Amino acid sequence: MSQTNAQTAAPYPNRLESSPRLRSLKKALGRFFQNKLGVAGGLFLLILVILAIFAPWLAPYNPMKQDYMAILQGPSAKHWFGTDDLGRDVLSRIIYGARVSLKAGIISVAIALAIGVPIGLISGYFRGFWDEFIIMRITDAMLSFPSLVLALTLAAVFGAGLNNAMLAIGLVYTPHFIRLVRGQVLAQREREYVEAAIAAGISHWRIMLRHILPNAWAPIMVQATLSVAGAIISEASLSFLGLGTQPPTPSWGSMLSEGQGYITQAPWIAVFPGLFIFLAVMSINVFGDGVRDMLDPKLK
Amino acid sequence: MKTLRKAILPFVVIALFAFLAACGGQSSSNGGSSSDAKSGQSASTRTDKSKLVIGLDADPPQLDPAMSTAAVDRQVYQSIYNTLVDIDKNLNYVPELATSWKISDDGKTYTFNLRKNVLFQDGTPFNAEAVKFNFERMLDPKLGSPRLSEINLIDKITVVDDYTIRIHLKQPYAPFLSVLSDRAGMMVSPTAVKKEGKDFANHPVGTGPYKFVKHVKQGDLVVERFDKYWGNKPKIKTIVYKPFPDGTTRLTNLISGDVDIVNTIDYKDIKRANSAANLKVSSTESLGFQGIQLNTKVKPFDNKKVRQAVNIALDRNAIAKVVFFNGVVPATSPFPETSWAHPSDLQVPKADVAKAKQLLKESGLSNVSFTLKISPSPQEKQLAQMIQSMLQQVGFKVKIEMVEFGTLLEQTAEGDYQAARVGWSGRTDPDGNAYAWFTTNGTLNYMKYSNPEVDKLLQEARTSLDQEKRKALYDRVSKILWDDAPYIFLYYPKDYKAMKNDVEGFVHVPDIMIRTENLQFK
Repeated sequence: MSQTNAQTAAPYPNRLESSPRLRSLKKALGRFFQNKLGVAGGLFLLILVILAIFAPWLAPYNPMKQDYMAILQGPSAKHWFGTDDLGRDVLSRIIYGARVSLKAGIISVAIALAIGVPIGLISGYFRGFWDEFIIMRITDAMLSFPSLVLALTLAAVFGAGLNNAMLAIGLVYTPHFIRLVRGQVLAQREREYVEAAIAAGISHWRIMLRHILPNAWAPIMVQATLSVAGAIISEASLSFLGLGTQPPTPSWGSMLSEGQGYITQAPWIAVFPGLFIFLAVMSINVFGDGVRDMLDPKLK
Repeated sequence: MKTLRKAILPFVVIALFAFLAACGGQSSSNGGSSSDAKSGQSASTRTDKSKLVIGLDADPPQLDPAMSTAAVDRQVYQSIYNTLVDIDKNLNYVPELATSWKISDDGKTYTFNLRKNVLFQDGTPFNAEAVKFNFERMLDPKLGSPRLSEINLIDKITVVDDYTIRIHLKQPYAPFLSVLSDRAGMMVSPTAVKKEGKDFANHPVGTGPYKFVKHVKQGDLVVERFDKYWGNKPKIKTIVYKPFPDGTTRLTNLISGDVDIVNTIDYKDIKRANSAANLKVSSTESLGFQGIQLNTKVKPFDNKKVRQAVNIALDRNAIAKVVFFNGVVPATSPFPETSWAHPSDLQVPKADVAKAKQLLKESGLSNVSFTLKISPSPQEKQLAQMIQSMLQQVGFKVKIEMVEFGTLLEQTAEGDYQAARVGWSGRTDPDGNAYAWFTTNGTLNYMKYSNPEVDKLLQEARTSLDQEKRKALYDRVSKILWDDAPYIFLYYPKDYKAMKNDVEGFVHVPDIMIRTENLQFK
């Protein structure tokens, strides 16, 4: 988020130098760029985003085109990542698969944020019976399930398909955000500035949205970034098990499951999507760490 | 932060290795299979010839033939039980517990002469009373035996003398012997059933060459030579059945583990098994058919032209080649080439996209789309995507939906589908491949297909004992089914079994059972 602000800010250093807010932003960015791994993760993510957006131009073949004369071919100049059991180009499928993975990661987390942040905010701010005995107990119950099992159950209830899978994953991540936001709000609510705001007669909604939320934003962003990684794995797992993306749409998870049977004679079908899942999740995690360093005011 | 970064390093290294492994995949996989072969034990090194290990594709759920619904159960039954009649390689009926039989001219009375000096493994003598007990047990509705529907045409059972039994049918039923060559003909010990009750499924007693020792769920099932067996004394003392649901694991255990023979290998692994120096592979066509079931009561498949378009648009040869590595036979009817009812004049046609388009146009429908339900295995997914791509050329929009196999069967039974990838394991008699599937209201007719002529032909075929006449009837059925296309026959599966080189005495019967009686090591 702040990264894009900074990029636009860079060409006008003189005019903006005076603002203390921007100065601290610059410092924060400096901290981010010190974290080499975080930068590498960010770069790989950028590549993935470019691959996803420009897939139709970047993919050498139609990812759905089956060529029965060219099944199970190893990596070559013609097919960099080889071909799969239906003669489809694995590289092209990976490029298109990036679309599914990123979409699933971002939309699921957006769903979790959209539900989790308001509930956590209200719950933490007003507290009382609803907070303690209803909302928190439900989130505890949801958190006590292994997340993949819960996602599987929900996806099975909603029916197979990418949209339903994203909804299921989003719901599974929601309690994490409720907990996090509530904790932040509970801490902020005791601060003097909130007391002052209440004393000044500002409405509860305004206090929540304009005063408390901005102060609780940093950990939410870090958690959201890391959750994207988890959501990508969840989508891949659901697709692997047949509940996510439906054929012939390529998704890394379903490619992995299609390739598993050929792991001895044609390992490239499973290894490349596996590698991309690994790299994508890894880069989001290290990128998330970088963001955390950047937003942590104690690390000067 | 630092520690996290350190923790990441090994992952990066692993990723790098995985990448390199993938790049060099071709050579490493070849290298892999040949080294597999060398590492396996060769025939001459076997020291313990008293134990044989059989790898199965699933854990047998239960061991009472009267209650069995899983195909894999039958593999174990080959050791524990005998059938009244058996089938040979060419699907002829041969004596087992019945030494000879006579069928009355009206086809309604079967008289069996039973083998003498046969003992159940608990010492109970086998005789006509035991046979009568077995049939009455299966016929008792209180037991809820899945065999009931196979033998419910039995009217009366008479014990003629100790070793002669006569079974009266309500109407002529040509497939009766074939039923007796399967689980309905397996004789269990009356003493043990009375003693164990429901628990008999866990403590089975039969007349077979091996007696049951123990079964650990999802683990070893052990049987031991029955010393008072009536037939040839088995050479091997102990047989252990082990379940390996994953095909690759099963084959790897055969190549380099202690497994000696497996009940099936995946089509994609045929080459690997063939190239392993310590293995031999046996194959036979089996009895079933595989294809796509179409719900003829819902859109778009209530329209015959649409069904016909699907039928001729699919390239069965390409499917056999790509998905099954030519390990199956392209199909056109319910009767595989092993069956005498196979219609040899119904050739597998070339896929005809132009004609399929024409048919679709004649159907009067446009933008035809449907959902194909499949069970979630990689092979099914691959097959479904080929079908999807082939039909797309004609103008169909096919959505693939993966449903767990049990649910898939349930949904098709309830008519909650348009098209479904469901096949049939097959029966020895052609009646078992057609009557329940294609007669109006047939027990397996989930296509809701109804053609009075087919009903008449199939009814006539099951009541006639003249094979030539029956063949002519089944030929006509095959032609009508091809034209009506309620079911798109895609391929006849073949059965592949792989075993260590020194395993001898295996006879590959199309019912795909491993008959353990004559197995031995070289």
